[in-house]
Amino acid sequence: MTESLLEVRDLEKHFYERDTLVDRALGGEPVSIQAVDGVSFDVREGETLGLVGESGCGKSTCGETLLRLQDPTGGTVRFDGEDVLDLSGDDLRSFRRNAQVVFQDPFSSLDPRMTVGATVRQPLDVHSVGTKAERTERVCELLERVGLSSDQYDRYPHEFSGGQRQRIGIARALALEPDFIVLDEPTSALDVSVQAQILNLLSDLQDEFDLTYLLISHDLSVIRHISDRVAVMYLGELVEVGPVADIFESPKHPYTQALLESVPRASTDERDREIETLSGDVPSPRNPPSGCRFRTRCPSVIPPEDVTIDQREYRQIMDVRERIESREVDLDSAWEYVADEQPSSGGSSLRSLLGDDVREDPFRERHAEAFVDRLEERMLDVELSGSHAQTVRSALHELCYEDWEGAASILAEEYESVCEVVSPALQDDRTHPVACHLYDQPDSVTANVADADVSAPVGDTVRTDGAESD
Amino acid sequence: MPRDLLSVRDLTTRFFTQEGQVNAVEKVSFDVEEGEVLGIVGESGSGKSVTALSLVDLVEDPGRIVTGEINYRNSELAESASENAPDAVDGDFVDVRKLPERHRRALRGPDFATIFQDPASSLNPSLPVGEQIAEAVEVQRRASANPRSTRSRTQSYGLGKFLLGTALPGQGYLTEESKARAIELLELVGIPDPAERAEALPHEYSGGMLQRAMIAQALAGEPELLIADEPTTALDVTIQAQILDILGDIQEETGMTILLITHNLGVIARMCDRVGVMYAGEIVERGSLEDVFDNPVHPYTQGLLGSIPDLESAGGRLQPIEGNVPSLLDQEMEDRCYFADRCPNAMEECLEKPPEFPGPGSPDHAAKCYLADHPYEPEQALPEDYFDDESSDTTVGRDDGKDDASGEGVSADD
Repeated sequence: MTESLLEVRDLEKHFYERDTLVDRALGGEPVSIQAVDGVSFDVREGETLGLVGESGCGKSTCGETLLRLQDPTGGTVRFDGEDVLDLSGDDLRSFRRNAQVVFQDPFSSLDPRMTVGATVRQPLDVHSVGTKAERTERVCELLERVGLSSDQYDRYPHEFSGGQRQRIGIARALALEPDFIVLDEPTSALDVSVQAQILNLLSDLQDEFDLTYLLISHDLSVIRHISDRVAVMYLGELVEVGPVADIFESPKHPYTQALLESVPRASTDERDREIETLSGDVPSPRNPPSGCRFRTRCPSVIPPEDVTIDQREYRQIMDVRERIESREVDLDSAWEYVADEQPSSGGSSLRSLLGDDVREDPFRERHAEAFVDRLEERMLDVELSGSHAQTVRSALHELCYEDWEGAASILAEEYESVCEVVSPALQDDRTHPVACHLYDQPDSVTANVADADVSAPVGDTVRTDGAESD
Repeated sequence: MPRDLLSVRDLTTRFFTQEGQVNAVEKVSFDVEEGEVLGIVGESGSGKSVTALSLVDLVEDPGRIVTGEINYRNSELAESASENAPDAVDGDFVDVRKLPERHRRALRGPDFATIFQDPASSLNPSLPVGEQIAEAVEVQRRASANPRSTRSRTQSYGLGKFLLGTALPGQGYLTEESKARAIELLELVGIPDPAERAEALPHEYSGGMLQRAMIAQALAGEPELLIADEPTTALDVTIQAQILDILGDIQEETGMTILLITHNLGVIARMCDRVGVMYAGEIVERGSLEDVFDNPVHPYTQGLLGSIPDLESAGGRLQPIEGNVPSLLDQEMEDRCYFADRCPNAMEECLEKPPEFPGPGSPDHAAKCYLADHPYEPEQALPEDYFDDESSDTTVGRDDGKDDASGEGVSADD
């Protein structure tokens, strides 16, 4: 196995909102946004590691933090054996020579008032490489190498198209002969025909200069095309890391599976391909879900061992729980509906019907069944069987008296999942580790599972065949 | 045999900018069949969005539709138009461009509805989402009560209006029915707890939810034709899959016709029955999905398909299309096949503009390329440096600069 050029361990970057002096003086609690929350991976010499995830998952912040373009709030980054986060002075300068970056937006990442030549020459100037004539010659060489012409030395960025500007950005990153380049969405702003040119250029340059890439992208087909290994990120955490063929051909984590399934293929079979779309949106990184962060959308969320339930019903109950816990159920409109169904109460306003003392209110008492029926109709897409329907109804019944906590605790007691109690972790000793309770988890995690008195079906292969191939 | 709902002939839209005339859409002709999903695919600046805007007459200055017919089948409209605009009517078809402005405006909503790429900028940030959808419902309600007139359909926003509405609650623009319908529409597009979410402002919605709200708004008028311009480009793939699902379901349920405009070939493959490929303002190839994806004739279509990295297999090197998208400035456009300078199979006859030839696939299949008519003749090939000479007067870099300047005017959306 080749050596690791970059070792990232538990990297953490939290941003704080409402954290100014005034806010503190007024006694406000700063709100933390956990953009990157404990990410560990290696980038081996000469390889391309693809970091893939949806917008807001923290992949770009991760790239910027490990280059020290932003200061991390925790963790370590070792580059070529040295601790990047401790560097200063000359050591930091030499690290910056060796680790470069190409940004996404070729329109805002070039100074519009600098000529192309000056832009590419600037890193050489800053690091005082060679004489002025040598630098100019080197710039011309670089421009030619990335497919521009040295005649264009004195032109300004606005005279170039998007693809050409991205070539300028690449030439600038190459100027100091780095070992390692972070490519942050290098082709996202480009059309497909130009994207293909740039991807080919990047792989040619990698062969020629023995470069190591960290490719950050949301585009799975780009990731597949040029990565050797892939890390999948969700809401600030890595959920799965592995060789590109393993990730794309036998994805393990339910999120990776859903992500791959969601991409529309450009082929005529596409229309007949059945896809199970993920429900809901990505939760806010201000208040991420406990345990596994994907559990709020996961189709394979694990039911407690002593509960026998159909997976779709369980997913449905977990969604209902989520809505009750965040109090996102519109009770008034349900009462209004109930009131409208009563011929006697027509015309009178809802407030006059509902008494102030919720527990002793005859109206609520009388129409509780109708109210629960209405909520059930509104909230459930899947019909629940037997005892589960009973449990859910009894929880919804608590909502008659606006007892949110009561409702939540009825469901939590019965349906608490290992996924919400214990955070899964990537196994260290695997070539294809995955952070999910459906698979063997490291000892530290299984210990937590035992403590929390919930049982994970360790080593179970609920959804994926051949899950334990490594 | 499905009937055509819309039949566009020689639509030409130009932008008269300071740098010169930009030929954004050049003699585009296509038919949209009732109940189908027609896709238009192309890269930035190919004119696909301008085509969509031209259909609904929303091209902004300095752009103008120069010529062309937009024939729309609607017997009711034909009847009412035959009185005041007889020359616009041809059987059941009405040439929308020949209708008076106010009649044309009245088509937006009940006949043509549009969803744009960026939902966040398409909604008013200071009004609750439900209210904005209810407004679309209200417009439609008033329109059907009093067809073909635009008076008092839309509401103006201002301090006076606001104060009046507060002082005299009965003066509100929106009725309870349209509010209830708005909530129904939100439910239809899969927004959980629609009654409560209807009260929320756009910034409280996520991107996917906003796009759902946009779809709900477009559906308010129960349109005959839904024009979806890059409806999922701003969204993540998992959300994109949700939105495409909803569009597909609604289309299946209501039999609505959809014109889907996108640069994403995967989205086209998932949704469309027929496809048109645009390049430099022209539809260079069209046909059924199978014609275009499995048997493309035009080298541009082939290049486009060849440059997408494959998700299913690691694959070797990509086959990009060399060069850049051409300038659409009139003075720089020669009267030849616009793709000839990037085409691997350019021949001498390509210096003359190719007409549309039928393709080898279904009866719909056609391409603006001589290769559709007869095979490639190597001895006729243009020398490789043929177009280099041309660009040496205006060097490559400058060429592109102009390209960009014009591109911004043409399609700020890309």
